[in-house]
Amino acid sequence: MSATGRVQEPKPQAGFSAWWYRRGRFTGAHIALTIMAVTMLVPFSWMVLASFKPLQEVEQLNPFPSVWRFDNYLRVFEQVSFARYYFNSIFVAAWVTFLQCLTSAMAAYAFARLRWRGRDMVFRLYLATLMIPGVVVMIPNYTVMVKLHLLDSYVGLIVPAAFGAFGTFLLRQFMLTIPASLDEAAEIDGATPWQIFWDVIMPLCRAGLVTLAIFTFLGNYGSFFWPLILVKSEHLRTLPIGMLYFDSVYGRQTNLIMAASVMNIVPLIILFVAAQRHIVRGVQLGAIKG
Amino acid sequence: MKAFFLITFFVLVLLSVVAWQIQPAPPEGKIPLVWVSDDNPARREQISLFNELHPEYDLRLDPRANQAGMEKVMLQCLAGVGPDLFDAFSPSELDAFVRSGVAWDITEELAKRGIDMEKEVWPAILPTGIREGRVYGFPANVAVDAIWVNKDLFDAAGEPYPEGPWSWEELIEVAQRLTIRDERGRIKQFGFLCDWWQWPQFIMLFGGQLYAENGTRSAVDSPEAIEAIQFMHDLMYVHHVMPTPVDEAAMATAGGWGSGTITYFGASKGAMALGGRWWLCTLRDYEGLNLGVVEIPRMSDTAYRAYGRATLVNRYSPTREQALDFLVYEAGKDYNDLINRQADAVAAVMRYNYTPQFLHNPEHPEEDYNEVWRDVIQYGAPDVWSPFINGQAANRILTKQLDLVKNDQKSAADALRDAAREIHKEMAKTLARDPSLRIKYYRLTGRERPE
Amino acid sequence: MKARRHEFRAALGFLLPNFLGFGVFTAGPVLFSLAISISNWHLHRTIPFRWIALGNFLELLVDKDFWLYSMNTVYLMLGMPVAIAGSLLLAILLSQRLRGIVVYRTLFYLPTFTSGVALMLLWKALYNPEFGALNAAINWCIDTFRVNEVVRALGGAGVSAPTWLLSTKNLFGLEAEQVRSATAQWGLGARDALIIMGIWIAIGGNNMLLYLAGLSNIPPELVEAAQLDGAGRWAVFRNVTWPQLAPTTFFIVVMSFIGGLQGGFEQARVMTQGGPAGTTTTVAYYIYTKAFEELMVGYAAAVSWLLFTAIFVITMINWRLGSKELNY
Repeated sequence: MSATGRVQEPKPQAGFSAWWYRRGRFTGAHIALTIMAVTMLVPFSWMVLASFKPLQEVEQLNPFPSVWRFDNYLRVFEQVSFARYYFNSIFVAAWVTFLQCLTSAMAAYAFARLRWRGRDMVFRLYLATLMIPGVVVMIPNYTVMVKLHLLDSYVGLIVPAAFGAFGTFLLRQFMLTIPASLDEAAEIDGATPWQIFWDVIMPLCRAGLVTLAIFTFLGNYGSFFWPLILVKSEHLRTLPIGMLYFDSVYGRQTNLIMAASVMNIVPLIILFVAAQRHIVRGVQLGAIKG
Repeated sequence: MKAFFLITFFVLVLLSVVAWQIQPAPPEGKIPLVWVSDDNPARREQISLFNELHPEYDLRLDPRANQAGMEKVMLQCLAGVGPDLFDAFSPSELDAFVRSGVAWDITEELAKRGIDMEKEVWPAILPTGIREGRVYGFPANVAVDAIWVNKDLFDAAGEPYPEGPWSWEELIEVAQRLTIRDERGRIKQFGFLCDWWQWPQFIMLFGGQLYAENGTRSAVDSPEAIEAIQFMHDLMYVHHVMPTPVDEAAMATAGGWGSGTITYFGASKGAMALGGRWWLCTLRDYEGLNLGVVEIPRMSDTAYRAYGRATLVNRYSPTREQALDFLVYEAGKDYNDLINRQADAVAAVMRYNYTPQFLHNPEHPEEDYNEVWRDVIQYGAPDVWSPFINGQAANRILTKQLDLVKNDQKSAADALRDAAREIHKEMAKTLARDPSLRIKYYRLTGRERPE
Repeated sequence: MKARRHEFRAALGFLLPNFLGFGVFTAGPVLFSLAISISNWHLHRTIPFRWIALGNFLELLVDKDFWLYSMNTVYLMLGMPVAIAGSLLLAILLSQRLRGIVVYRTLFYLPTFTSGVALMLLWKALYNPEFGALNAAINWCIDTFRVNEVVRALGGAGVSAPTWLLSTKNLFGLEAEQVRSATAQWGLGARDALIIMGIWIAIGGNNMLLYLAGLSNIPPELVEAAQLDGAGRWAVFRNVTWPQLAPTTFFIVVMSFIGGLQGGFEQARVMTQGGPAGTTTTVAYYIYTKAFEELMVGYAAAVSWLLFTAIFVITMINWRLGSKELNY
């Protein structure tokens, strides 16, 4: 917010964004965006409002609760170990995201910036594994976890999700857009690939890295199936598993599901708001350094 | 950039230390037991009572999801980290657990502990625990549906409360009088709420079955079954007393099986509803409901559909002997009285339904209809199932065809005949895969596959 | 040549961490699933394990359900181009330096992280045939413009608002039980409802984010140069923006095809349970059913590999088309 809020007099800026800005002022883009954004906001506000409703009213079309039940939020914590599930979800997703970004970036560097024999063959192999539906590798993966004695553990939740072809593919595409002259120049200055990777390529890939981090965190945070079959102990449950409690045949406690969901997405919104400006500003900053 | 990654790494390591530190220590000197069942408030009380009665154990629940619930148990058990106890929700689930080799045959063990299941438990629920004469699980509860009556809505319309035994014609008439529409013709209050997935119940009520001849043939194309489904169709489209899919969508935006109807009935939007005693787990939360119960109209010689859960023991559990104590608990007075008090359907052990507390729950004196639940259970019969087809596969075929009937796109007769044909095809495929089933099928019919 | 070897060793080092995990948790299981796709592996122990070569695949060829579900899968992908174009447009709008642009970006991304249950409840309410906002609008149009009078005058039977999620109808009149089309099935139904919802969710989601990141990677000099040449807005887009976004577009198209062909699982599970009459069941849902409900692990693997073949062929075509423009 602060970065954009400060813009009072539009400075004459170069580049794509500035060009759009000068144009955009007159197109009424604000109005168009606002109308569209409101339709996006509806389900979210509905969810927040429903989380304050008594159970009987959740299914009614009237969006406002007749009585505001703030204690719905407390009941979520009372009925399940919500705090623990919260911690587990964030903890697991954070590790996965970290490992995924690091290893994918390294692999993508090897695929995009280094020349070696068989490079494209290996990359296509990577790509091909993306085309296999995830459901089918779940049972073999499970067998691997049994052999490694990683069932019912944090490591079992984190490690299989931490390496993937998706991140490699995404970052490779990003690295391809960086002009080759940059690392050639660095190489002439005597930089090792390791130095080029960290000091030239990674800063320029910031937008891609942030994008991948958001995708990975989001995907893992909401993952249901793998934790479901992997975890047995209560203290390892993640949020999607913990929320099963509110959805039994004895009646779905939809209001509590909503309250839990609202709390569920708070970390995601924080992450997104913090990360998104890097997506847009990343390269400009990088370009100055480079 | 490097610094950022390093800092993140250290923060994560720090968090890992925290995570390690806050792992709960297993309770000193207690034997941990894990039970896979559906998670809800009723289950929690059942667990804490067990832990109270058996301080040597620490029983915990692992919630069972609607998706992959069975698969998870099987995979974990076969991998040697399975739960000690898990529930089967139908005879065909029991069959799947036994055939995947994870259910422990406890016939002798239970006999040793002086439990004679076949004598003590309602016969309708036995097939969920017993397969081919061998005992694998003890029934946790049993349910037979009846018709809930919202007495206030009857009073408002000046109608007398229905009393059984009665006929479908009487029900339709009452329901029509209690159906109230708004000025645009949309239904505001339904006479009779009934979920479409109750169709197996109707087939049974009309004297039909899902399978015939020891499960070697599908019987959904029998005249009785066709009549039953056509009748359900007519309740919606001819008599206009049961919600059509469009009505159902209007009332149950929440989805989830049963939940829409229960909440709708709880909100006094229906005068009658077909459901079980376990609805009380939800209905008790609605204040000021004035309820009654009457039996479902029934042909003279047909049965009501009975269903419920049975708890099985993991054959590979290192503490399976100890896990048996939970089954003994399920056979005992404390547990069965608790089930009846919670209204988690009805106690599976017959004698606990003949106590004064069952008829008149001191916490809920307004529930004066418990005798009806006990009466209907005597006419309960289990689902007839077939070992020659996967239950889920059969369900997929039937759901598809019945969806078309439900949407008024296909006649019951056509749909059910097509369904039977597809089920026989699927059976033939199953038999081709499984030699042991092939032998069994041949023994029963003298044929290689269904014709 | 010397530099080459040096780079190969470096590449090995960079690849190793990912490659280890990838090998154990992706490549290994994938090969394993290839192996079991030619077996009859079933979780029931009464079925002895056997290698059956192409048995599963032959059974699959005559599996009517599989073909119906394949048709559903392809049908549900129809919204893809609209969603991608919408994401690009939105990304261009959102790359502006407007006041409060962060708020807009977050709002458009909200559907991506709002919980599935909340979205499901809301869209079910929207699609509600009687009370839903959508049908209220449609009915208003029908009444106001006297559509039915016109249709009847032309000899038609009159039209009414669709029942959306409850209906097996669709734009091409595809039947629920056969891979063929019939006039009675013409209309709007559950599949179309899912497509519309999918577009709504996707438009401000991950693809928009990717385009946003891609746009920020466009060197400012290029745009300036084009402007100096007097290029208009469209010309800048056509000659600078679009070619510069090609790697991103390529990634999005490839991933959308992969995601689309493997997709529909969440929507079907949460919104429709695959119904009515199986019309929203996709191949991915079918694989799940076979493996996790009917326990036929070998057969499920075979379906996956057939699906893989289809995806692979399409990706290769994408690759060919893409590399013409991208010069790999």
